[in-house]
Amino acid sequence: MATGIKDRVAILGMGCSKFGERYDAEASDLMVEAYREAITDAGIDPSQLQAAWLSVAFEAMNIGPSAIPLSMALRLPTIPVTKVENYCASGTEAFRGAVYAVASGACDIALALGVEKLKDTGYGGLPVRSRGLAYDMMANSGTAPGFFAQIASAYRAKHGVQRDDLKRAIAHVSVKSHANGAKNPKAHLRKVIDEATVLNAPMIAEPLGLYDCCGVSDGAACAIVTTPEIAKSMGKHDIVSVKALQLAVSNGWELQGSGWDGSYFHTTRVAAKRAYDEAGISKPREELSMFDVHDCFSITELVTMEDLFVSPEGGAMKDVMDGFYDADGQVPCQIDGGLKCFGHPIGASGLRMIYEMYLQLQGRAGERQLKNPRLGLTHNLGGMPNQNVSAVAIVGRYGD
Amino acid sequence: MEAPMLIPPYPVPSNLSQPFWDGTRRGKFLLQKCGACGAYRWTPQWLCTKCHSLDFAWVEASGDAKVYSFSVVHRPPLPGFKAPYVVATVELAEGPMMLTNIVDCDPKDVKIDMKVKVTFDKVSDEISLYKFRPA
Repeated sequence: MATGIKDRVAILGMGCSKFGERYDAEASDLMVEAYREAITDAGIDPSQLQAAWLSVAFEAMNIGPSAIPLSMALRLPTIPVTKVENYCASGTEAFRGAVYAVASGACDIALALGVEKLKDTGYGGLPVRSRGLAYDMMANSGTAPGFFAQIASAYRAKHGVQRDDLKRAIAHVSVKSHANGAKNPKAHLRKVIDEATVLNAPMIAEPLGLYDCCGVSDGAACAIVTTPEIAKSMGKHDIVSVKALQLAVSNGWELQGSGWDGSYFHTTRVAAKRAYDEAGISKPREELSMFDVHDCFSITELVTMEDLFVSPEGGAMKDVMDGFYDADGQVPCQIDGGLKCFGHPIGASGLRMIYEMYLQLQGRAGERQLKNPRLGLTHNLGGMPNQNVSAVAIVGRYGD
Repeated sequence: MEAPMLIPPYPVPSNLSQPFWDGTRRGKFLLQKCGACGAYRWTPQWLCTKCHSLDFAWVEASGDAKVYSFSVVHRPPLPGFKAPYVVATVELAEGPMMLTNIVDCDPKDVKIDMKVKVTFDKVSDEISLYKFRPA
């Protein structure tokens, strides 16, 4: 009988490149930047790495196929290296591979690294894909903002919310992330903004304006994992361990007249329930210290707070406006700036979220440091509201 | 000098979806209906979502639907799309929901629960896109 991943794997070291328009760097530069920080943090020799996972969402853009680009860039010791892609949740997928490898006993130390290099394609959003069944069926409809904006309409219809009230609440989501991102030296966007700026910005897809949408960044993030016993034997203290790792993938249920009402993410609710079960969490609103969610759009973050059972259903707007998720609130969300401001190098984002939780749990988050956090959750979503992959990871202090 | 004509990416039918696109080209709106449990499904898939049966037939659907949710896109993904336009999730009379565009009306007039009817937009000899207009 499976018992789950809780406390079987520890994070030995992590690293993250500066995110942004990295015209100064190639993908390999970004990989090395994140890796050097991680391996220095871990305090191991590269020869001790026994397996590695690479996550990239758009491999054709500046990186190339297979796992060879990672093995070459890091000069890995001819070990098994696996390349994974799972939409915007790819980074958490690489982490999952490394964590399970250690948990299974197949190796003592494994590495996960995510990278994306898209800014020099000359294109602002994500490259448009038009092959494969899902794309064939939706190619006439257009954009990611257009798909995610429909959550806002469905949420309004379900909860009887006025357009301007919802618009103000999602504006606060972005204002909060900008305030946090301004304190993060590695963030892509480091500018404090006010509510009026958000409300008056150009419309992208009603009701989402410019500041309701995250951009795309260049960047890389890296994790090195081992068992808690090995970490202790190396003299590590303040050990951060993995409490839960869950992934839920749509099977088409959402669109089959099944009762899904378009106002929430079915997969996130499924993954969150499993993750809380795995981590032994019964009251997430009280037990979680902080979280970093997939705020590809401000409305995504708002409904995700409900899908993770932190805000009650229909209650996220009130929590947001009350400052519950602000840096000085009860459960800070996107303390590093989130996708909105830290940035969104697709294949690296899941690992970037875990990186912030890890820094916070070790008391190394600098100006952003929260008081005594014990348990952090990351949520990494890929795809569209009706058809997506949702990853939930929970990390915390080992021994708690 | 004349600017090159820009067109949005068109669907590339697969073995599975070819009958659907053959249908739209002939002005027919076809859906897969499970031969075992009778459930309709969308998008095209080999297995029934409800009972996993492989037995299905392409049958002509009513084309009736209502708007479930929608947004108005002001910034299209590529040149060639004429913004603003409506992207919507519609609930088909047969049950499944579908991502599509609402056309033949002012974006300001689109409402949730509005009744809509399928319509076809011939964009090439092979492809007619499915869209919905006010019923």
